[in-house]
Amino acid sequence: MSKLDLRALTLTIAALECVACANETKLEDELGECSATIEPGPSPLRRLTQVEYNNTIFQLLGDSSAPADAFPPDEEAGGFDNQANVLVVSPLLAESYLEAAEELADAHAPTFVSEIPTCAAGDESNCNVDVVEFIREFGKRAFRRPLSETELSTFEALFLEGTGLGEGPYSAEAGIGMVMQAMLQSPHFLYRIEFGMPAPIDGDVVELSSWEVASRLSYLLWNTMPDDALFEAAERDELRDPEQIEFQARRMLETPRAREAVKNFHRQWLGLDDIEPRILANGKDEEIYPEYYDGLPTLWRLETEAFIDYAVFEENADLATLFAAPYTMMNAELAAFYGVSGPSGVEFERVELDPTRYAGFVTQPGLLALNAKPDRSSPIHRGKWVRQYLLCQDPPPPPDNVPEPPEVDESQTTREQFSQHSADPVCAGCHQLMDPIGFGFEHFDGLGRYRETEWGLAIDASGELTATDVDGEFNGAVELADKLASSEQVKSCVVSQWFRFGYGRFEEQRDECSITELEAAFAAADYDIKELIVALTLTDAFRYRHAMEGEN
Amino acid sequence: MVFNIRRPALSRRHLLRGLGGAAIGLPLLDAMRSPGRARAAGTDCPKRLIIMYTPNGTIADSFWPSAVNSESDFELSPILAPLEAYKQDLLILGGLDYLSATAPVETSPGDAHQRGTGHCLTATALLPGNFTGDGGLSAGWAGGISVDQEVAKAVGLDTPFRSLELGVAVQGASVRSRIAYRAAGQPLPPENSPYTAYARLFGDSLGDPNEIAKRTARRHAVLDVVADDYSALRGQLGGEDRDKLDNHLAGINAIRQRLDSSVVSFDGSCQPLELGAPIDVNHVDNMPLVGGLQMDLITAAFACDLTRVATLMWTNSTAGHVLSFVDPEIKEGHHTIAHKGDEDTAKVAQNVKINAWYASQMAGLIERLENTPEGEGSVFDNTMIVWVNEQNRGNNHDRRDVPYVIAGSAGGALNTGRYLDFGGDVGHNRLLVSILNAMGVDADTFGDPQFGTGPLSGLS
Repeated sequence: MSKLDLRALTLTIAALECVACANETKLEDELGECSATIEPGPSPLRRLTQVEYNNTIFQLLGDSSAPADAFPPDEEAGGFDNQANVLVVSPLLAESYLEAAEELADAHAPTFVSEIPTCAAGDESNCNVDVVEFIREFGKRAFRRPLSETELSTFEALFLEGTGLGEGPYSAEAGIGMVMQAMLQSPHFLYRIEFGMPAPIDGDVVELSSWEVASRLSYLLWNTMPDDALFEAAERDELRDPEQIEFQARRMLETPRAREAVKNFHRQWLGLDDIEPRILANGKDEEIYPEYYDGLPTLWRLETEAFIDYAVFEENADLATLFAAPYTMMNAELAAFYGVSGPSGVEFERVELDPTRYAGFVTQPGLLALNAKPDRSSPIHRGKWVRQYLLCQDPPPPPDNVPEPPEVDESQTTREQFSQHSADPVCAGCHQLMDPIGFGFEHFDGLGRYRETEWGLAIDASGELTATDVDGEFNGAVELADKLASSEQVKSCVVSQWFRFGYGRFEEQRDECSITELEAAFAAADYDIKELIVALTLTDAFRYRHAMEGEN
Repeated sequence: MVFNIRRPALSRRHLLRGLGGAAIGLPLLDAMRSPGRARAAGTDCPKRLIIMYTPNGTIADSFWPSAVNSESDFELSPILAPLEAYKQDLLILGGLDYLSATAPVETSPGDAHQRGTGHCLTATALLPGNFTGDGGLSAGWAGGISVDQEVAKAVGLDTPFRSLELGVAVQGASVRSRIAYRAAGQPLPPENSPYTAYARLFGDSLGDPNEIAKRTARRHAVLDVVADDYSALRGQLGGEDRDKLDNHLAGINAIRQRLDSSVVSFDGSCQPLELGAPIDVNHVDNMPLVGGLQMDLITAAFACDLTRVATLMWTNSTAGHVLSFVDPEIKEGHHTIAHKGDEDTAKVAQNVKINAWYASQMAGLIERLENTPEGEGSVFDNTMIVWVNEQNRGNNHDRRDVPYVIAGSAGGALNTGRYLDFGGDVGHNRLLVSILNAMGVDADTFGDPQFGTGPLSGLS
C-alpha cells in the first residue's frame, strides 16, 4: 500500500499506519516482541454510563424504571458515550444519584424487609443481627466484590441509625433503605474501582483481580454488572486465567444481553442514533418525497440494528458480510417502503435483496437518508461519512463561507449539478476526497431508495477511492462496499472503534501490542465480529493495569 | 427541624408580569421580613449575575447601533430593537475580540465552534482531547474556570446553591454544549427541564415539614457515610482518578452543606411557581415556553435568594434547531442559516430575526427582574445580565468584534445607557475581569493573561 498522504489523517490512523499495512511477516515479528513485555496502557477510572447504570439497576433490583434517563446526558467523545476521560460528575449529577438512590430505596426496601422474617415481624434485636447477612449479600452485588469488614460495620451502623429515622420507634425499612442509598451513591457502585493484585509482575504492571475482571467482562460484553456465574468464577479466583476469561466471554456472547451491547456499539460507531433526531429535525421535502413520513427514521434505525444483530449472532458474520450481505431485515411497514413483499407483521424478518443493487448496511436507507439533504441525495455527505466512519479518516474542514448549493434542477442529475458546483478550484481539492466516493451511492435517493433514473435521466454511479489502501475506480455502491470490505484500513478502523468502546478510551502509542494482538486475532478468525470481541478480553489492556499510585 | 432561609428584605406586594402564556401564576406577595442576610460588600442588596449564551454569531450590520453621535446618543439596531424600553440600562460593547480563541491551533486546541463556546467565559485554551471537531481538529473541555463560577466562588457562599445552570434545548454533551466550568475539565451541564430544575430548587420546601425534617436527618446520615467513602478512596487513587473523585465529592458536599438551609419560607417576592401542564422540553417549537419558564425560575431563585449567579444557555454551538417559531419562513437549522453568505439576503434577514428574538428574550428577563421588588427598588437594580455569543459571524467564524450586550448595573457598578467601542484587538478576558470587578470581586486578570490584563476602562 502506498504511503498515505491525506492531509488530515486522524492520529489513530497515523499512529497505526504500520499496523494497517502490516504484512504477515511483520505482524508475526510484532507479536513476538509483544509477548516479551506486558503493556496495558492507561486504565482511567470509569464511571457507569446511563446505559450501564440502568442495566445495572435492572440486574441488581429487577427494576426497569431506567432512572438514569433523568440524569444529565453522558459526555460524548469520539462518538462514544463511555469515554472515561470526559465522563465527569457535576454537582447536578451528584444530586441525580441522590434522588435515584432514594427512589430506588423507597421502592425496594419494603421487599427486602419482607424477605427477612425477623425484620418483617419487627423483632428488633433479631432483625439487627439478621440484617448483617443482607448487607453482606446486597453489598457484594452492588460493589461487585465482597465487602471489607470495615465496610460491613459501617453499613451496619448506618442501618441501626436509620431504624430510628423512619416511621415509628423502630423501622427496619428506613434502615435498609438508607443502607441501599449509601451503597448506590458509593464510588464502589458508581465507578469501576480497580487496584489489581498486590504484587506487580512486570515493573509496575499488576494483574487485575478476578472480581475486577468479572466487572470488565460484564461491562464490555453486556454493559451491565456480572451475573452469578461470573461472581462464582471470581469467588474461585479463576478470572486471572486467560482460558477461563475466554470461556466466560464465549458463554456471555451467547446471551441476549450481549446482543444489546453489540447493538449499542454499532449504534454509536455508525451514528445510528443520529438517524431519528437529525432527520426528524429537518424533515424531507414533501413535494419531492411525498412518501416520507415521520415514522420512517425509526424503522430505518431498527432495520440496521436488526441487520447487524442478525448477521453477527445468527450468521456469525465476518466484516465482509456486514458490508456486502445481499439481504436485510424488515417488517411489513418497512417492506412497503422498500416496495418488496414478504414480512407481514411488526417483527423484523430476513428478506433477500438484489445483490447487484444492495450491499449490507452500506446501502441501507437510514444511513443514506441521514447523509442526504431534505430534497435530494448528498454525495458530499455520503463520501465524508465513508471516510470518517468506515476509514477513520477526517477530511479537511469545509471553508468558512460555504456557497449556496444549487436549487434542485429537474433538467440535471444531482451528480451533474454537484460536479459543476465543486469544479471551483478552491473547492476541488477537498471535494476530490469525498465526492468521488459519494457518487457511488447515486442510485439511492434522498430517502435511501434505489432508483434507476433521476428526473428521467440516467444515473452515473461510477466513483473512485483515493488516499486509501484500496484505491481505484468502482461503479456503484456494491463495488464500493466490496472494496471497503477488503481494506486493511477499514479493518483497522473497526478494531480501533471496538478498542475505544470496549476500553472506554482512545488507543495510545503504547497500546501497539494490544492493537496488534487484536488485529492478528481478527485476521486469524477471518474477521468474524464475535471473535474480535472475544479477543478484546484477552489483551494486555484488558487483563492488566499499571499499579495505582495513591497518595497514601 | 426546618430552617428558614434568610433572604433580602422585600418591600411591597407584587405580581410578576410578562410571563408569557405558560399559565404561571405567581401568587401575590406579602410583606417583608427584616433583612437577614449578609450583603455583598458595600451594598444593601446582594449583587447578582446572569449570563445568557446564544450560538452561531450575529449579523453585524443589524446588531451594532446606528446614528452614533456619542457614546450615549445612538439608535438601537434592528436586532437590539426589542430592548428599546431598557436602552438606558444597556451597555453595548464593541471592538472586543476572542483573542485567546484565535491563537494558532498548535497552542490552542479545537475548531472554531469548540473554541468560541469553550473560551467565551474562560478565555483559556481548551484542553487537548477527543471531542471531534471539523477538519480533524479536536479538543477536550475548557482549560479553566469560567467567569460565572469565579463570581460564584465569591458571592455564592451564603446561598444554598452556589450557582444555577439552565439551558433551553441544549443538545449534546461536549465542549460545544457547555459554558460553565468549576475548573479546567470540570463542566457544569445546563438543566434543560424547568420542571426538574424547579424540583431541585424548591422541592425541599414543598411538602410536610415533619417529613422533610426526617428526610433531612436521613440524608445527613447517608451522605456522611458516602462522603467518608469518597474521602477514604480518593487517597488510594492516582492523579486524574483522584481528581474525578474530588469533583464528585465536591458535589456531595454541596448537597450536605445546604441540607439545613435549602428550605425556603415563602413570603414577600419569594413564592412558589405554578409551572403549568408539562410540555416536551426537547421540542424546538416549545423553546419560547421553556425559555420563559427557565427565566421565571431564575427570577424566583433570586427572589428567594437560593442563588445569585445563573447561566442560561439558549441551545448550543452549531445548533441545528429549526427556529420556525420565530418566523414560519425559517425552514433550515440556525447553524445552516448562519453559514449562508452575506449575499443571501433572505437568509441573512432570517438570522436577524433569530437574533432579535433572542434580544426580546433578554428584554423579558429584564422585565421579570424589574417586576420583582427588593429594597426600595427591584432585583434588576442589583443584577447584571451579560449576553454572550460564541462568535461574531456565522459564515466565517469570525471571533473578532464579538457582539456583547450587558443589561443592568449590578447595583450601580456599571454606568449604563452607553455604546462603547474598544476598537479591536482587545481581548475579551478584560471584559471578564470587568464582570468580576462589577460583581465586587477583586481581580486584575482572568483567563490567559497574555491576551490582556486589567478591566476595560470606562465601564463604571
